[in-house]
Amino acid sequence: MKIFMEIQVWQAALFGLLACLASMPGLGGTVFGNYTLGRPLVAGLIVGAIMGDIQTGIYLGAAIQVVYIALVTPGGTVSADVRAISYIGIPLSIVAVNSMGLSPASAEGQAMAVALGSAVGTLGTVLFYGTATVNLVWQHMGWKWLEKGDLKKLYLVDMVFPWISHILCSFIPTFIICKVGVNMVDLMKAYLPMDGIAMKTLFTVGSLLPAVGIAILLKQVATKPVDLLTFVFGFTLAACMGLNLIAASVVGGFFAVFSYRIKLLSMQKPVAVAAGVGAYDDDEEEI
Amino acid sequence: MAQKKLSKKALGKSFRNWYYGHLTCFSQEHMQTFGYLCAMLPLVEELYDTKEEQKEALQTYSAFFNTEPQLGTVVVGMTAGLEEAKANGEEIDGEMINGIRAGLMGPVAGIGDSLVVGTLIPILLGIALGLSSGGSPLGAIFYMIVYNVILTLGMRFLYYTGYRLGGKAVEMIVGEKANAIRESVIMLGTIVIGAVAASWISITTPMVIPGGIALQTGVFDAIFPKLLPMVVVLFCYWLMSKKKLAPTTVMLVLVVVALAGVLLGFFDPQLAY
Repeated sequence: MKIFMEIQVWQAALFGLLACLASMPGLGGTVFGNYTLGRPLVAGLIVGAIMGDIQTGIYLGAAIQVVYIALVTPGGTVSADVRAISYIGIPLSIVAVNSMGLSPASAEGQAMAVALGSAVGTLGTVLFYGTATVNLVWQHMGWKWLEKGDLKKLYLVDMVFPWISHILCSFIPTFIICKVGVNMVDLMKAYLPMDGIAMKTLFTVGSLLPAVGIAILLKQVATKPVDLLTFVFGFTLAACMGLNLIAASVVGGFFAVFSYRIKLLSMQKPVAVAAGVGAYDDDEEEI
Repeated sequence: MAQKKLSKKALGKSFRNWYYGHLTCFSQEHMQTFGYLCAMLPLVEELYDTKEEQKEALQTYSAFFNTEPQLGTVVVGMTAGLEEAKANGEEIDGEMINGIRAGLMGPVAGIGDSLVVGTLIPILLGIALGLSSGGSPLGAIFYMIVYNVILTLGMRFLYYTGYRLGGKAVEMIVGEKANAIRESVIMLGTIVIGAVAASWISITTPMVIPGGIALQTGVFDAIFPKLLPMVVVLFCYWLMSKKKLAPTTVMLVLVVVALAGVLLGFFDPQLAY
């Protein structure tokens, strides 16, 4: 296995650019930027390719992805920042895992990546609020132009000037932290022994954190306690019956169709009472 | 006066401006407002001849706007239809358009967050994680392609359907049938997320209880495979939904749990340099 003790200038610059595109509010747009480039699994592939080790990138990106599988930003409040997780956290994790001699395929290597990625991601919320704050300046200019009827300039406000916000709040921080962070990994290795309490806790936290990601999602979809049973059902499919995710999706899809049919029937009931015979005329109607 | 009809070109430009630019100039004060203005600009330019009229029409869209932007494309399409009707002298004014916009922001955000961000993305990522489990790039590539194709086609469909139906599109989003579909899709998502949790969370203990029995293999595995991951997920869920803790706070709670577990010998990664 190759050892990456350093992140080159051109590599850090590319991560900086990707951070500009991938963040929320990012310049790659929501679909391709935030929800594609910003996902740690995708970032694992890209960062791995830039650093010359795609397999390690994918292993670590996939592990971090579980924590952020449902990063919802309701009303623009964020608990973690994808540009920081993906383009600061993953490069540093690759360096850390390699220099500590951990295997990226092992639970320990992945726990290391998760702990590091999540810490960086939480700190990265500063970048989110920073970008949004600098954008206020462009918006202020936009209101003046709208007032004057200088409408074409709105494009500058929406799509050009935010690059300045991102150079300040995405490119520069990513570039610097990627370059300096490598030294911090060395320091960590020198001062925190692997069998000490701090490192043991770090690895344990890394293995616990994915549960938070799943729980965030669960809170989003489970409104009644009985919905938790649906979750446990899916859990059982994989844990006890050994289904992989595609197979579990097929079983889930079957139950979803089932549930839809039942809901349609119950929707028709009141009509049947009111109209009597013939209420099932639209039985075959499909969307 | 001839009926004004928006050209394909103007609609296409409006759609593309929204598709790309709805969040590029985000601030806490005006989240998607400038994206909305840029989406309406090509339409307003085509519908109204004088600068004054254009400016006045665009003022309508300077009101605060924020929703789940991908599903929210339908709202932009609807207002395109409404603005066209307004330019043709129908009894629609800016206030009415803003009323519809403001009324839909909340519901569309709720539906979009649970359906797109809370269900579609986790399902696709779940499958992608499976495909990438051996360190293979296949899963990442699968997600990149499938997500972008679905969302680009889907948003295009929503925009033009919204444009065609105008105010009637409301039923399509919040109607009873839409509700039934949504709940069923969310059920699928919940099942898949359960499978993701079981496949991807790995929490074990090396502790040996008196009598020489390994706690993990002798007790936990015998009760239910992967018992610890499930317990931790449900614990986090409980903290967030019942104790109303923020995700970041829950992460800190887990740090404390981890430290306590390490001190008690319950958790131990058993590593050395």
